[in-house]
Amino acid sequence: MKIGGGHVRGGGGAADGPVKVTQTPYVVGSSVLGVKCIDGVVISSDTLASYGSMAKFRKISRIHKVSDACVIGAGGEFSDFQEIKKTMDGVMIEQFCMDDGYVLTPSAIHQYLVRVMYGRRNKMDPLWNQVVMAGFHDGKATLGMVDQVGSNFESEVIATGYGLYMGLPLLRNAYRPDITVAEAKKLLEDIMRVLFYRDARTSNSIQIAAVTKDGVEISEFYDLETKWDYQRFVDGARSGDVSTW
Amino acid sequence: MDPLLRPGHNAPHLPAAMGPGYADVFDRLSRQGGRVETTGTNALPTFDAHAGAKQASFQPYQNNGGSVVAVAGKDFCVVASDTRFGLGFAVPTRMISRNLVLNDKVVLATAGMQADTCTLHKVLRIRLDMYRQNHGKDMSLGAVSQLLSNTLYYKRFFPYYTFNVLGGVDENGEGFCYGYDAIGSHEKVKVVCTGSSQSLIQPVLDNQVDGKQMYDGQPVAELSLEQTVELVKDCFSSAGERDIYTVGLDGRGQPPLYVKILKLAFVLTSHPLRSKYTRSHFIQGQSPAVRDSQTTTDTYFT
Amino acid sequence: MELGFLDRPHGAGGVRVTGAALVDELGYSLGCDRMHPTGAPVLTAPPGDAPASFLTEAFRGQDDHALKFLHGTTTLAFVFQGGVVVAVDSRASMGQYIGSGSVRKIIEINPYLLGTMAGGAADCSFWERDLGRRCRLYELRNKERISVAAASKLLANTVYGYKGMGLSMGTMITGWDKTGPNLFYVDNDGTRLKGHKFSVGSGSTYAYGVLDQGYHWDLTVEDALELGRRSIFHATHRDAASGGFINVYHVKEDGWVNISHEDSGMTKYYEYKAQSAAVDSTAMES
Repeated sequence: MKIGGGHVRGGGGAADGPVKVTQTPYVVGSSVLGVKCIDGVVISSDTLASYGSMAKFRKISRIHKVSDACVIGAGGEFSDFQEIKKTMDGVMIEQFCMDDGYVLTPSAIHQYLVRVMYGRRNKMDPLWNQVVMAGFHDGKATLGMVDQVGSNFESEVIATGYGLYMGLPLLRNAYRPDITVAEAKKLLEDIMRVLFYRDARTSNSIQIAAVTKDGVEISEFYDLETKWDYQRFVDGARSGDVSTW
Repeated sequence: MDPLLRPGHNAPHLPAAMGPGYADVFDRLSRQGGRVETTGTNALPTFDAHAGAKQASFQPYQNNGGSVVAVAGKDFCVVASDTRFGLGFAVPTRMISRNLVLNDKVVLATAGMQADTCTLHKVLRIRLDMYRQNHGKDMSLGAVSQLLSNTLYYKRFFPYYTFNVLGGVDENGEGFCYGYDAIGSHEKVKVVCTGSSQSLIQPVLDNQVDGKQMYDGQPVAELSLEQTVELVKDCFSSAGERDIYTVGLDGRGQPPLYVKILKLAFVLTSHPLRSKYTRSHFIQGQSPAVRDSQTTTDTYFT
Repeated sequence: MELGFLDRPHGAGGVRVTGAALVDELGYSLGCDRMHPTGAPVLTAPPGDAPASFLTEAFRGQDDHALKFLHGTTTLAFVFQGGVVVAVDSRASMGQYIGSGSVRKIIEINPYLLGTMAGGAADCSFWERDLGRRCRLYELRNKERISVAAASKLLANTVYGYKGMGLSMGTMITGWDKTGPNLFYVDNDGTRLKGHKFSVGSGSTYAYGVLDQGYHWDLTVEDALELGRRSIFHATHRDAASGGFINVYHVKEDGWVNISHEDSGMTKYYEYKAQSAAVDSTAMES
């Protein structure tokens, strides 16, 4: 709900005096991963939105197609992500209406998003997300991110949320400048699986999006195969001299 | 007796809330997030989005670390910075630019919060373009220094969380640099460091470049461009060893026997940049003096 | 200047903010486009309804990263038969760190006016520079120099407009006008006092001790300058937040003169120690 300049949560509102704009995230998505490839760019996320420890929405998409050359994926407050989708859709419709054939490039979309997010933080009314932008334009892949205060960068590999701690080292380790989209999809699946094993806010239902010269391709939701009978999972304390539990 | 029951009292003794001023803890909460419902179905549990510290309310500032150095010589100025983007104990990327080439003779380097840095750089770029269009010439080093100060001070009550050094050569071809605090207080100097390693690097530069604390009274030899670049490289590799927010090593933790600084360095001379070293060379830090330190950074990701 | 084109993230369908907005939709601020009717730039308040505590709140729980500005000082000025003596140290601290040992805390507003800097370095230098601009406008409009009283009042009125917002400045405005030598104290509360003798800053108590002891209206110029210098020296000796160089200025009928710039360190210490016959030797014991 939006009243005046800010979000109102847990009661309050214009009638109660100044609008309170500070917020904390409530329904949140976890990690988004991304890899830049030689022939495109790939991002992945799971399909869970948690409310505290409750798996509130188990089949929602955290990936959104912005243009034929660009997708975004987001962690953080889910309602704010919906606001971002609406904003970006509005931008793309406006461009379509111009009818000049010009479409914002992926990095322009990224920077646009940065300005929107930074502008909101300046009002102390943030969009509480970590957004990953992936695009392919002029034969070159772009991969960037922006968070709720407007921090942003472009990089070869990106991970947000819990993936920043557990996924990024794996991504950096596996990354090659000549990695292909097919290889990257496999890599991201593997890392999503690791995250599922160790991040209690990640589910094994995931979605992967690739942007290549052929445009945007966002997969259906699908479940990762998991394996829980690793010796160390079953018998952590006795299977080695160091427990993983 | 129940240890919670104080002698002479029948009521259990409840521990106080953390920190001072616990009596108004609900007042404070309500100031931060709207009315707090203590009963009823609207009462929402608060929790953290991710594992980690409890986040009481939105904090608009983020410290991404980084250090920036400028050393001015007779007819040059070296401006350098590391490239680590830090976020708590994580490093989301090792390659961001903290430097901004404002024109052929002025370079800015900014540590602190990356979002503010990037906005500040955008604003300055626009202001310098406006100046160029209006006056048909580039802004001088001195003019930029005052512009930066004003730009920072205009946000006095919601500051850019940035720590700047500005370096370049002035109209007479002499190298100078300027150090800033977050709200625009600045000083024209010959050597300056700001950012997370400020207190590690600045005293060394004072000693080595300015000759401070040299009580034997020997005059300090003026550093050449090459010597300056080497000194700056040493400063970064040493600071990187002791400051977790400044990078001195590559991703594999190679020892700094030869310098593997992930940084961009700019070398300015009083001569206009000519064909051999175009501006783009300087943007990538590939002036001859700096190229050596760059070659090892290419494979920083693997 | 119309800068609206920079503020249009959403095109026709979005919110439009004028170029004057300091913190606009995109988070850009190109500068201070607004001026108060008095001619002073208008700085916009931070978001929220508690501007003074905004920064404290923004850094709650992360003291290590809290914004620190340059601070700490000893400054003094006094009027005597030969004009005004202004003497200051040059240290600026940011918390425990000495941000600079060579700050120029005497601000040359114009050839006839001096201001001093204590408290927030940026606050003092920005507003005193702005004061210089407005004094120049006054000259152009009125074909005569502004009085020290008027100049100091411009400054006092400006900072009073920001009362409670967290500005930090304790400054002395001094100069020579039609009425002779003048000295005013102006601080961030909006206080403005005319007087003959002021010292401001963390080291001011030490400076006052020496100053009060040695001050007479009839001091010779030479003795007056030395009194100012010595007062600052003793303040740097005892106050951790003061140090660096001792800068001394003399305001005379035809404008100010920069008298001296000396290291306040051991050289000065031994110099005074050697003259200890003229000084109470107990004051020099470490």
